[in-house]
Amino acid sequence: MSTQHGRADSYRVATVIPTDDDNRTADGRYKSRRKMPAKGPKKENLDDLKQELDIDFHKISPEELYQRFQTHPENGLSHAKAKENLERDGPNALTPPKQTPEWVKFCKNLFGGFAMLLWIGAILCFVAYSIQASTSEEPADDNLYLGIVLSAVVIVTGIFSYYQESKSSKIMESFKNMVPQFATVIREGEKLTLRAEDLVLGDVVEVKFGDRIPADIRIIEARNFKVDNSSLTGESEPQSRGAEFTHENPLETKNLAFFSTNAVEGTAKGVVISCGDHTVMGRIAGLASGLDTGETPIAKEIHHFIHLITGVAVFLGVTFFVIAFILGYHWLDAVIFLIGIIVANVPEGLLATVTVCLTLTAKRMASKNCLVKNLEAVETLGSTSTICSDKTGTLTQNRMTVAHMWFDNQIIEADTTEDQSGVQYDRTSPGFKALSRIATLCNRAEFKGGQDGVPILKKEVSGDASEAALLKCMELALGDVMNIRKRNKKIAEVPFNSTNKYQVSIHETDDSNDPRYLLVMKGAPERILERCSTIFINGKEKVLDEEMKEAFNNAYMELGGLGERVLGFCDFILPSDKYPTGFKFNTDDVNFPIDNLRFVGLMSMIDPPRAAVPDAVAKCRSAGIKVIMVTGDHPITAKAIAKSVGIISEGNETVEDIAQRLNIPVSEVNPREAKAAVVHGAELRDVSTDQLDEILRYHTEIVFARTSPQQKLIIVEGCQRMGAIVAVTGDGVNDSPALKKADIGVAMGIAGSDVSKQAADMILLDDNFASIVTGVEEGRLIFDNLKKSIAYTLTSNIPEISPFLAFILCDIPLPLGTVTILCIDLGTDMVPAISLAYEAAEADIMKRPPRDPFNDKLVNSRLISMAYGQIGMIQAAAGFFVYFVIMAENGFLPLHLFGIRKMWDSKAVNDLTDSYGQEWTYRDRKTLEYTCHTAFFISIVVVQWADLIICKTRRNSIFQQGMRNWALNFGLIFETVLAAFLSYCPGMQKGLRMYPLKLVWWFPAIPFALAIFIYDETRRFYLRRNPGGWLEQETYY
Amino acid sequence: MSKNNEKVAYEFPQPAKKVTLSEFIYDPQNGTFFGRTGKNWGQLFFFYTIFYIVLAALFAICMQGLLSTIENDKPKWQLESSLIGTNPGLGFRPLSEQTERGGIIQFDARKDAESDYWIELINDFLDDYNNTEGRKVKHCDFNQNHKPTDVCLVDVNDLKGCSRENNYGYKTRQPCVFLKLNKIYGWNPEYYDSPANLPNDMPSSLKQRINETNQLELQQIWVSCTGHYGKDQENFDGISYYPRQGFPAFYYPYLNQPGYLSPIVAVQFSRLPNNTLVEVECRAWAKNIIYSGRQRDRMGSVTFQLMVD
Repeated sequence: MSTQHGRADSYRVATVIPTDDDNRTADGRYKSRRKMPAKGPKKENLDDLKQELDIDFHKISPEELYQRFQTHPENGLSHAKAKENLERDGPNALTPPKQTPEWVKFCKNLFGGFAMLLWIGAILCFVAYSIQASTSEEPADDNLYLGIVLSAVVIVTGIFSYYQESKSSKIMESFKNMVPQFATVIREGEKLTLRAEDLVLGDVVEVKFGDRIPADIRIIEARNFKVDNSSLTGESEPQSRGAEFTHENPLETKNLAFFSTNAVEGTAKGVVISCGDHTVMGRIAGLASGLDTGETPIAKEIHHFIHLITGVAVFLGVTFFVIAFILGYHWLDAVIFLIGIIVANVPEGLLATVTVCLTLTAKRMASKNCLVKNLEAVETLGSTSTICSDKTGTLTQNRMTVAHMWFDNQIIEADTTEDQSGVQYDRTSPGFKALSRIATLCNRAEFKGGQDGVPILKKEVSGDASEAALLKCMELALGDVMNIRKRNKKIAEVPFNSTNKYQVSIHETDDSNDPRYLLVMKGAPERILERCSTIFINGKEKVLDEEMKEAFNNAYMELGGLGERVLGFCDFILPSDKYPTGFKFNTDDVNFPIDNLRFVGLMSMIDPPRAAVPDAVAKCRSAGIKVIMVTGDHPITAKAIAKSVGIISEGNETVEDIAQRLNIPVSEVNPREAKAAVVHGAELRDVSTDQLDEILRYHTEIVFARTSPQQKLIIVEGCQRMGAIVAVTGDGVNDSPALKKADIGVAMGIAGSDVSKQAADMILLDDNFASIVTGVEEGRLIFDNLKKSIAYTLTSNIPEISPFLAFILCDIPLPLGTVTILCIDLGTDMVPAISLAYEAAEADIMKRPPRDPFNDKLVNSRLISMAYGQIGMIQAAAGFFVYFVIMAENGFLPLHLFGIRKMWDSKAVNDLTDSYGQEWTYRDRKTLEYTCHTAFFISIVVVQWADLIICKTRRNSIFQQGMRNWALNFGLIFETVLAAFLSYCPGMQKGLRMYPLKLVWWFPAIPFALAIFIYDETRRFYLRRNPGGWLEQETYY
Repeated sequence: MSKNNEKVAYEFPQPAKKVTLSEFIYDPQNGTFFGRTGKNWGQLFFFYTIFYIVLAALFAICMQGLLSTIENDKPKWQLESSLIGTNPGLGFRPLSEQTERGGIIQFDARKDAESDYWIELINDFLDDYNNTEGRKVKHCDFNQNHKPTDVCLVDVNDLKGCSRENNYGYKTRQPCVFLKLNKIYGWNPEYYDSPANLPNDMPSSLKQRINETNQLELQQIWVSCTGHYGKDQENFDGISYYPRQGFPAFYYPYLNQPGYLSPIVAVQFSRLPNNTLVEVECRAWAKNIIYSGRQRDRMGSVTFQLMVD
């Protein structure tokens, strides 16, 4: 399965554009780590990673290596030694990141948020009950009952959020089930196939193409061996590896291959030098898991909100506790008031509502290929202001594709789109025919079997990435390549090697009348050109003069400048007199001409951007999100891709571009003039924090190329230092520290390494950057909708608290009981509050800048002012009005109620006189009181209808928004039906003390519901008419 | 390829400056008190004043609407359509105005202050009954018809051992407790018109009493009290009722007549055990009075406690 990753670099050198940049870069990149000033809390981690590079296994001689590990190149370790090592070092596997124990998670849910406040309420209930029980023979069980209900509420909501949390983490479990890896090991001279976990230091392992390297190994023997280091270093091209020590830097030297990278070509034998967590990848993974990620923005918002509400609850509770004492209440009564105020103040159902809203969004995102690991991350993308995106596989297709051809002295654009919807080119010209013949024949790549239904571009190919690109291109252009190859039988072949930098093969031609052999060659363009004396143009063979060479150079430069990998093609018809049919071609000692050939053309390949990316980048831009490319790849390729996807937009120049245009040295250009910047990892290493800040601040379009994992981390930290909320996308191990550090790490589901998925908060199942835009949109929408949902829920707090305050201050019979409050918070308000999560956006949320995390709070003073000060007050008025209606109609006129409380609540008083001289027994007046509770409850439901409708929009009129949110419409019906059920269902009198209401008692709240609706429509009308006005500053939440 | 024609200039946001408490209370730089300028506070105050005035007006209009549907002399909902229902309970006096003392009548007969407390409460209660001047009241009797709107006199001069002169028995360890049936607008009793079909749970002493009563005087809501004390719920007797053991039916219905007073029954407990809490339950008897003795659901009856030291 590994060859699909193949980005073999047979022609790597061929693509090197005449810049002396490369060597220094690669060099500098790694040196940078050593020089990097480790700062702050990251110091240890960075030091760790630095130390991991201080190994000398690649420098020492093989003999010393064997000595050190007591191993032998042919026989390997002894079984005893292997066992000893295994016992000493443990299995060769990465330690999974530390998991919080389940019970800790559970307790967090049980005691976090409002739970503590409710626990206090419940404990107070039990205390009050036990005191009552010890002082009176027949205690009222109200408090016991309420205590149990409160505890149940806390436990149930705790279990619920724990369940939600564990459900989303279970999704991750599925990723952990990796296919077990096996490795071929030599022990005591025997070849064994072992599980990769059982490898130990000093084991001699054999690796062949397609394998995953089972541990960090020092190579002692290699044949044409190449590894794909992309997941470790971000380099998109496979690196060749051999036994020779070539570089001080362990990551650069040819004789080391690293754990979890893939072998794409050839075979090798090596000695295991480090295992498990001590491998390079293990260190990076460890660095990632050691990073402190901090709270998600939404968690911060929710904490802020909980503090606010808790503060209000404690303040009110304590105030009225003291007031109750001053008014001469018994202290037990004061405690009961305290309980009531706490219960009324805490929106018990709200946290569950928020969880459900986030879950709903997470589900919706999952259906759009954004899998959210951590529920809170749902919103994070919405507040993201900067996206640091990896290039390979995220922005690009991670598939080399032929992008351009040069023949007949013109550059032809090939179709690079994923669905072949791009430009077409003339396939009949002799130039193309000749070029395509070489590309077809001088090519060892083949389609893997069993993929008949798969579109050509998606087919898996065995072989080098460039050859695969040519194969696919030719298959598209000519049809059945395999058949063509069959008809042009290959007689001899010289495969590519790094000294020749070309590949040549000799074929019979399918023209049966022509016995001549055809020689075809491809390779590094300048090397190919050197070997040619003529050039094939417009069907004619011409002498390759200076003019033609100039044309060639221009084309080569142009294609190279596009960041493309360029190959040159030439052929030659072998004269039949010298090379008759049956001629024995000797490929070792070449006995055929490889000079004075006929040059045919160039083909260039690139890993093209995904079709949806440019659009997605543009959408991010218009949504005010800065998109920064951070890649391990070469600057030229990076810049080309950045330009083609719009990360560097048309017309924006880098400092270098300006210098080139004005023909002045780079140093003379004012960096502020350049909006775009391509920053090289090597430059980054010398840059101070301030300078990095300056780069991030003054350039709107930035590309970081050739960056190391630490540099990615530093870039993310830099953005965060500036107050940005940073999303990082990436797929490699080298991205994982940055993924972890980011406010939201987005890993790739298909190409992503396990470590990166582990470190990320979100996984794009289709590896498509465009899915991020969906995520941003959903995140912003849920933030808006949560505001609405919270505004809706908090509003009913005022009609819940005010009865208690009136009860204490005005001595009236209690208008609303604690149980009824719970019925609102956990019953009728829940579904409507959740349904607001389905509300459509009011305006194009992708056309406004991301929210300012410091000032744009989820719950701000304006929301509180609206919910508590305005709408809540109208609701309370409605509740009290209904209360007075029922009291008055049954005989207690409003003025009669004031000061009646003590007599009302005394069991000894069995004959309380009302306004008409009627005398009420304790039982009858409690029935009346509970009927009032029920009516108050119903009236809250009625005014919450209006509240729900006005909460649908924050600025628009409901007539603009419409009532198309069917979940919300259902919520309206649901709360009404539930309220009716609670009131009319037989048995509720006993269970919840809810009594059936006369139908007319539903109506007194309606004028207030209308008042809410009219007031808010008017308010929003002035809000729209007067943007930025006083009303907006004070009431727009 | 790029379509960023609608670019939004993005500036990195900066965290708000930390303000100290004193700066929060008064910031001379911006002239803000508690985060707002004087003008700003004024505007907010003005807005909320208007808002609440309008809300109060709305509430007042609604209340006005409510009161216009309510009559002054009779409740809007009556009897079964009202929550008061059709099942009157009993009330007792003296009842301490300190509600937390509950329904206990406790005194030391030797201490004047303690018994005077209860005597005073009863005096206050009976004040209305004694001051009959200026009220149109009728002397009613079982054998004469009267209009429902008539107010019948409640005679409190014939209470024998429970008379004021006798200090209602409080000085002699024979305290009287006054019972009255709760007034329910428009309620009429359905008295037991024949001694033959009395309920089974009626105390035998009351049954005997009814049997001894002539047919005419059967038009009463009977009252019975039972008392018990101690762990083993010992019953005790020595209970007498003045002026009679019931509320005559001619006092009903109650229609909020001016000057209407509930008929009363004075219950005297003449043989109270010393220094022991006696639990007394009194019950009213009529065909349409349903009884429930459960503490939270008491109907057609009342309980109180007596304790004489």
